[in-house]
Amino acid sequence: MKRIISLLLSLLMVLALFTACTPANNNGDANGEPDEVVEPGEEDADVIKIGVFEPLTGMNGGGGLQELGGIEYANKMYPEVLGKKIELVVVDNKSDKGEATTAVTRLIEKDKVVAIIGSYGSAVSIAAGDIIRDAQVPTVAPSATNPMVTQGNDFYFRACFLDPFQGEVMATYAIEQGAKTAAVIMQNGDDYSVGLANFFINAFKKLTGEEASIVDVSEFQLNEADFNAILTNIKAKNPDVIFAPSAATTAPLIIKQARDLGIESLIMGGDTWENPAVIDVAGEDAEGIVLSTFFDENDPATNEAVAFVEGYKAELAGKEPIIPAVAALGYDAYILVRDAIERAGSTDGVAIRDALKETKDFEGVTGIINFTEEGDADKNVAVIKSVQDGQFVFIDSVEVK
Amino acid sequence: MMDKLNDKKSKLFLNLLLIAVFAAILILLDTKTIGDAYVRRILNLSAIYAIVSVSMNLVNGFTGLFSLGQAGFMAIGAYTVAIFTVPLEARAKIFYIIPQNPVLAQIELPFVIALILGGLLAALVAVLIGMPVLRLKSDYLAIATLGFSEIIRIVFTNIKSITNGALGIKNIPIMPTMWVFFGVAIISIGLMWLLINSSYGRAFKAIREDEVAAEAMGINLFKHKVMSFSIGAFFAGIGGGLLATLFATVDPNQFYFPVTYNFLLIIVLGGMGSISGTIIASFVVTIGLEILRFFDEPLALFGVNIPLFRPGLRMVVFSILLMVLVLFFRNGLLGQKELSWKLVFDWLSGKKPIKKTDEGGAA
Repeated sequence: MKRIISLLLSLLMVLALFTACTPANNNGDANGEPDEVVEPGEEDADVIKIGVFEPLTGMNGGGGLQELGGIEYANKMYPEVLGKKIELVVVDNKSDKGEATTAVTRLIEKDKVVAIIGSYGSAVSIAAGDIIRDAQVPTVAPSATNPMVTQGNDFYFRACFLDPFQGEVMATYAIEQGAKTAAVIMQNGDDYSVGLANFFINAFKKLTGEEASIVDVSEFQLNEADFNAILTNIKAKNPDVIFAPSAATTAPLIIKQARDLGIESLIMGGDTWENPAVIDVAGEDAEGIVLSTFFDENDPATNEAVAFVEGYKAELAGKEPIIPAVAALGYDAYILVRDAIERAGSTDGVAIRDALKETKDFEGVTGIINFTEEGDADKNVAVIKSVQDGQFVFIDSVEVK
Repeated sequence: MMDKLNDKKSKLFLNLLLIAVFAAILILLDTKTIGDAYVRRILNLSAIYAIVSVSMNLVNGFTGLFSLGQAGFMAIGAYTVAIFTVPLEARAKIFYIIPQNPVLAQIELPFVIALILGGLLAALVAVLIGMPVLRLKSDYLAIATLGFSEIIRIVFTNIKSITNGALGIKNIPIMPTMWVFFGVAIISIGLMWLLINSSYGRAFKAIREDEVAAEAMGINLFKHKVMSFSIGAFFAGIGGGLLATLFATVDPNQFYFPVTYNFLLIIVLGGMGSISGTIIASFVVTIGLEILRFFDEPLALFGVNIPLFRPGLRMVVFSILLMVLVLFFRNGLLGQKELSWKLVFDWLSGKKPIKKTDEGGAA
């Protein structure tokens, strides 16, 4: 008897997979006519579902949670659209491509979301891209900076600037500071680090007009903690700046060891460096480092930003000392999607996509947002921050034409 | 009932019925009559996991070589498919930092050829690696193969003009039908099943039981070990290639060594040395992980949010289930046995299975 029961239970488990999913009548054909209603009638009619796929565990779990915080706060501020309540359906992609593709398929097929927000980390976003395009569900990535995310994908948008832009910003800033030579350190195998470093190299060479202006390019491996070999090499070449885009865990090690070796060059990084951990670990050595980021809480660009900083700061009280830039971008992604649904006047994927495309001078927390042809936020200003007295301080905003 | 079972005809009938049911379900799923893309995707993933797990079982369970190189062989298959099947016009955009090798940038192969090529390359590498490494035993072999799989990954990260390095390759054409995955799975597993039941297979098992005795019986240890290792690698490469077209993207981090542990888990759960057990475990683990997803979602009981239900709980529950399974089924689901009607009915009626269960395989 016991055996029969356990057999039945396992059968039930398999069947649950099938029954939980209603027969799909949208067969993913690319005709995309608006009369094909995405939401079937039997769905809860007074709720509009927006999917969120973020890495909540795994390598990028920390960043994913920060981003989710911003999205959830936005949901609290603007809980309704078209007179209906917005429900967030959050799925974890474990910072893993395979998980990301199933997670997104689940959002689209099982939860029947009308739009998606995510994800932190470009690799998982790229992996989910084809599914999103075929299912015609408009998606906004808050902070995925790799160009490939939106490239050739009509339904993928993003609220942040791109790596090529960020690389150019840092190169522009370095040259404005009088730098003539630069050394670059990047993490082998990390798409973010490699991408950003290469864009910096190209921009720096172009702006100085000299091939030899990049004096050294070094790569390190994941989990490497000793950078003395790389740094001694760089010291011998005495560059004006060192650009080292890397994760917040590696950054302080590089900074500390460089200063210990007596390197006095300006050390610069990317948006990942805006993390209290960098200052905590590097201590006094962190003074004077320069990084680019999306957002500065002390210099709100819009009215929306003023309200956001005030409200979210209170929400974060005791948890995090500064508002993470990705939270601000998460917030922007949500209000962008909500605004597009409102203007589209329907929950049809193509209509929302068109509305997103027509977004004009939208007032977000991270500035005025317009989309380019490719679906990227057309931002031409980045915030440059430095560390002074153990604090991240705003020093400049750089504009690139 | 038992008398009927001994009847070969009724066994054949049951087998045909089972095959018909599976084929019908698959046809209905494939024509989109039942289920949706989510279900299809999970089942496709399960089929791929089944291929790779059975290939790993061939080496670990049947030949007794503790090898952990599966992720590396999958990477070879996946990258071969990725490099050769991406449409030519999309390549310049993908290789935007370092341009693709000019020779490779001209070549586009049909999916099936790229898939087989991937398997062959994986097998070739396995022969080269296997010759020195297979002289090692047990844990030492495990360490060496693990190291090899990491080397493959690091090489792929660094040959940027071929693999696009850390940025990975996207836009791999997606296969429109489930039959690609299930067809390849059925053929691959069928071939491995035939191999295991041939004289080579018996030699593999002899090596697993006792190397010295096997050698005394006239089995060429080295030849058979390399053979098992490279055939296992071939099918792991095929599995990797299928994975590339399912995800439509590959990058080196996808083939980190923990990936191998997924398959190790499946074969331990299904039974080291049981093909049917491995297939069942592949489906149970993959589908189970998706079903457990509700643990990650917030749960409100009587209007009160239960704080325990939060992202990450799924993996905790999954780990607990694993521990329970390993505690109560020490040899996995089927141990070294294969699934048969006799086993199923014996189990249902609560009888202890009789030793001889080799006949009448249904799977």
